[in-house]
Amino acid sequence: MADYWNIAPGMETVLKELFSRDIEAEVTLEFNIPEKDFNNAGKGSSETKNVLKRLGVDSEILRRIAVAAYEAEINVAAHSIGGKMTSLIYDDMIHIKFEDSGPGIADINQAMVPGFSTADDLVREFGFGAGLGLPNIQKNSDALHISSAKGEPTLVEFLIFFG
Amino acid sequence: MGERKYFHAIQILEDNCTGCTACVRVCPTEAIRVRDRKASIDTNRCIDCGNCVDVCQFHAIIPSSDPLDLIKNFKYKVAIISTSFFGQFTEDISYAVAKQAVLHLGFDEVAEEAMVTEFMISMIRDYIRANRGKRPILSSNCPAVVRLIQVKYPALLPNLFHQEAPMSILTRYLREKISARENLADTEIGIFLIVPCVAHVTAVHQPEGAYKHLQDGAFSTGMIYGKVRDIIKQVQNEPLTVETYPKGLTWALSGVQAELVDSDDIRALSVNGVENVMDILSKVEDHYLDQYDYIVLRSCTNGCVGGCLNVENPFVAMSRIKKMIKDGETKDIDVKDLEELYNEGEFAVVPLTPRPIMELDKDIKKAIQKMKKINEFLTLLPGLNCSACGSPTCYALAEDIVMGKASIDDCVVLLKRHSKDENE
Repeated sequence: MADYWNIAPGMETVLKELFSRDIEAEVTLEFNIPEKDFNNAGKGSSETKNVLKRLGVDSEILRRIAVAAYEAEINVAAHSIGGKMTSLIYDDMIHIKFEDSGPGIADINQAMVPGFSTADDLVREFGFGAGLGLPNIQKNSDALHISSAKGEPTLVEFLIFFG
Repeated sequence: MGERKYFHAIQILEDNCTGCTACVRVCPTEAIRVRDRKASIDTNRCIDCGNCVDVCQFHAIIPSSDPLDLIKNFKYKVAIISTSFFGQFTEDISYAVAKQAVLHLGFDEVAEEAMVTEFMISMIRDYIRANRGKRPILSSNCPAVVRLIQVKYPALLPNLFHQEAPMSILTRYLREKISARENLADTEIGIFLIVPCVAHVTAVHQPEGAYKHLQDGAFSTGMIYGKVRDIIKQVQNEPLTVETYPKGLTWALSGVQAELVDSDDIRALSVNGVENVMDILSKVEDHYLDQYDYIVLRSCTNGCVGGCLNVENPFVAMSRIKKMIKDGETKDIDVKDLEELYNEGEFAVVPLTPRPIMELDKDIKKAIQKMKKINEFLTLLPGLNCSACGSPTCYALAEDIVMGKASIDDCVVLLKRHSKDENE
């Protein structure tokens, strides 16, 4: 398995610990993301957004979370054979995990290049697959971790702080 | 600073209310609750969309607008007619006659929203080009949409078109012109709107972002309709020469307005119906619609023709207005004075501020505790979203319980289950 981290230099230890935080999240939301179900893809991020509005999270930070979560959710629907989304909400940050059952990313670094896309015709027909998904998630998150390999399940997870 | 009290042009007549919860279920901001078999509206949440007025079968939710007699308090009386008004009459009644009939209601002068449509379109284009960093620009003419953004999508407030709506622009322009021409003080001139919806009545009485005194009252199309029809019968045979502006009637139709703003360097999208508007605003929040430069948003079906104070079906009204646009000839109005006022900044509005209703608590730690309690109650509730308790959904009831506004005993389904268990 290959691991990809996008973490500000000097913050590696602190942030990697936050990815495996052992305290239980204050609010946990889970959503299934079926393969190619574009009618429902986006519901998880929209629900997460509603919860964060109720918690009074700053509206600009909320928009960053919404963009990153929506992109990642669409990615799972478009490229994987299905998976799930888990939103872990703490009082100072959100940790969102996307775990799918495959087929994996052969070259993560290549997938991080804006414009690179492996999306098939069906996906493009729905208007997705412009190759901006992963770079957009990176741009909007405070820390990003991807773990995958060809033929393996993929984990995409990111952190965004509220303050 | 004390808490701001919100005015709404909607009244609940308790004697007529049966507590049926139809209004509770159609309210887009979950502002209505039925408690003790009577509906009540949370004034902080209400955006004056009029859904509840439309759905109430018992005449218990009544739109309020001003009595026509109000015009008697002014020396010089002006009516400004909303564009949708002209779609309300059968096709044997001409645009000019309908307009003349409004004059005979007792006004000294009748103007119409349609006069400034072309000017509005060029102003909107100008504004979009000057604010490329804030795409998409969201239309601000629909007062219900402005209030919806204030309560549910505050992050999008900077995207709103921060200039006055056409009827207010016309008001500012006419006030200045008439005052000079008739040699009258501002207080002697009464300017009134004839409006298709409760949101516009509310906006006249409590405008968002207005710097100066605008209108003196608002009359509902439905309220004056009967009188206007009677007058039409009298004047149909002796019509005056009345100027009309058929091209400008496009303002009543959200789709046509978007087409007009659309150009080589501006991509416009049109959305109507409050549910569709909310879906689109949520996508704008996700930066998913950044490819658009301008979005026309109207809370009612098809735009202002769908307003709840109109008498005609929105699709029929739309078809009639389209016919008038096609058949009619428009005299171009001189926009020089308007342009001058625009350049002087006379049409600018105060930056709009949020009216957040979603937050459970100002302190995120307390908000999380409340949310946990909500989720606990939610597991106890049946999840039928039947509204029989008087809250719109089980989630809303759980929230009401935690916020101290309801009790779990309000759930009729649980009550029935318990009594069944006891009997067994």
